[in-house]
Amino acid sequence: MNKRIDVHHVTRVEGHGNIVVEVENGKLKTCRFDVVETPRFFEAMLRGRPYSEASHITSRICGICATGHATASLRASEKALGVELSEQSWLLRKLTFHGEILDSHVLHVYMLVAPDFLGVGSVIPLVNSHPEVVLRALRMKKLAGDLCAMVTGRHTHPIAMTVGGFTHFPKMSELEAMRQRLIDSRKDVEATVELFAKLPWPEFERDTEYVSLSKPDEYAFIDGDIVTSDGVRVPPERYKEVTNEFMVPHSTAKFTRNKRESLMVGALARFNNNYNLLHPKAKEAAAVLGMKPKVTNTFLNSAAQVVEIVHSTEDSIRIIEELLNRGVQPEEPAPIKHMPGEGVGVAEVPRGLLIHHYAIGEDGRITAANCIIPTNQNINNLEHDMRAWVPKVMHKPEPEMQLDLEMLVRAYDPCISCSVHVLKIQR
Amino acid sequence: MLQGPSIPEEQRQTLILGVGNTLYGDDGLGVRVAEELTRHTLPAGVAVEVAAVSGIDLVLRMDGWKRVILIDAVQMGEKPGTWHCFRAEDVRYLAGGQTLSLHETGVTQALELAEALGKLPEEVLIYGVEPERLEITEELSPSVQAAIPEITQHILRELWKREK
Repeated sequence: MNKRIDVHHVTRVEGHGNIVVEVENGKLKTCRFDVVETPRFFEAMLRGRPYSEASHITSRICGICATGHATASLRASEKALGVELSEQSWLLRKLTFHGEILDSHVLHVYMLVAPDFLGVGSVIPLVNSHPEVVLRALRMKKLAGDLCAMVTGRHTHPIAMTVGGFTHFPKMSELEAMRQRLIDSRKDVEATVELFAKLPWPEFERDTEYVSLSKPDEYAFIDGDIVTSDGVRVPPERYKEVTNEFMVPHSTAKFTRNKRESLMVGALARFNNNYNLLHPKAKEAAAVLGMKPKVTNTFLNSAAQVVEIVHSTEDSIRIIEELLNRGVQPEEPAPIKHMPGEGVGVAEVPRGLLIHHYAIGEDGRITAANCIIPTNQNINNLEHDMRAWVPKVMHKPEPEMQLDLEMLVRAYDPCISCSVHVLKIQR
Repeated sequence: MLQGPSIPEEQRQTLILGVGNTLYGDDGLGVRVAEELTRHTLPAGVAVEVAAVSGIDLVLRMDGWKRVILIDAVQMGEKPGTWHCFRAEDVRYLAGGQTLSLHETGVTQALELAEALGKLPEEVLIYGVEPERLEITEELSPSVQAAIPEITQHILRELWKREK
């Protein structure tokens, strides 16, 4: 039995990656996920720039994770300069972060993953076959975008977040209206859980080292220690002890590994490591989806995103209620305590652990920057998953085998590119 | 910095969207044209925004506007800086029925999805500009830079023509 799968640019992922699999005489010979682009350029772009510009520059790395990059960037500068955020700033940071988690997860599970299970090649035919599903996804996405815009002044590239706090504050009437919309969205969230609970997730188990942030009192999205399911716990400043980046010839992305041959970040890693801190309704959703840690089926990363949709919706309502109770006061950004400095900012962006590490000089300009992106950390694990997955599907005809492999890639929700839009017209 | 629309829903006429990423050389040209337009007096009901976002977000952004003008880098195989004003229908034709997945969540996909959902504005114009340099830089190439005043003037004429 000889088979060759060569998918040039896997569809329904953000950016460009190729699958190359060769089976010869029933044996797996080649198995690679080639990354043909890399977002690592921006470290050079940050050098020599004032720290105050860093969050605006890095938020443009991605049209999906803009708030995530901005948040990690601000935390890196804030830690470098000894800036302590006010309680109000923390609430607002967490609230807009939930908005982005919702926005990104809805896009991934509905637009990128669901078409595989509903038997269509993309979201366009889904409009005809399942219009209510597409309209629900758009409603949920609109709400998430409006939530971000309410807090940070604009959806996608946040303009109101600054080192030390915010430059724009939501009005009480806006918070009240948003609270009601989130409460009304619960029926869409429930329908989402029901839909994904019915999908026939492929059977596949491969245990790995799950890496995420962890905080003692909340399901960590911003700050916290870096922990792994193999018992490692380090403060963010020691991230290199976990990420251990290394290069391979076929990829422009750096690979990572820690205790095992590979590690995984993302919603499934967060779910496995921080399940106990999920909102009770999110735990109920996990039960409906048949999930209890430790989940070792990579395909269920998308289901873990559905669980987080429930969590972020409920926690957003809680945060807004707290803001309504205490009132929102315009305030100056928290002061800088010292310069120069060095700091590491960490956040659990939709696709997993994001690390920004800056050194800031006496003149307030960045002298060195290092950024580690979730997808880079996952690619090594994806290749190991592919090696375990191919023997299970190689008896199938090539088109089916190809789809199975593409679905595995899409389960990671890989985000390989930045928000570059180039329309190519062939003549 | 361009702000979101402050125009009440019932007064919304034309949305101008500069699409692209200013960190990626000529891909940022749509944003530069949008910035240029905000320096001019615009008819009532016209908003200018930038969008370095995915196709799905473009659908949501276009929703509720009678007319949308998009400005974007388009690889047409022409001399850098060459630009054309397409209609939504033309772009679909030119794209040649390629698979409209969300792989590159770009403008054609957004238009197709908007149409399928019945959310396509009455009129969609796309100013496509041939890029010279798509690489990591915040500078536009001279050829594209030179086209920006012409495109800006053309859009301004289009906007005021409809007011008469």
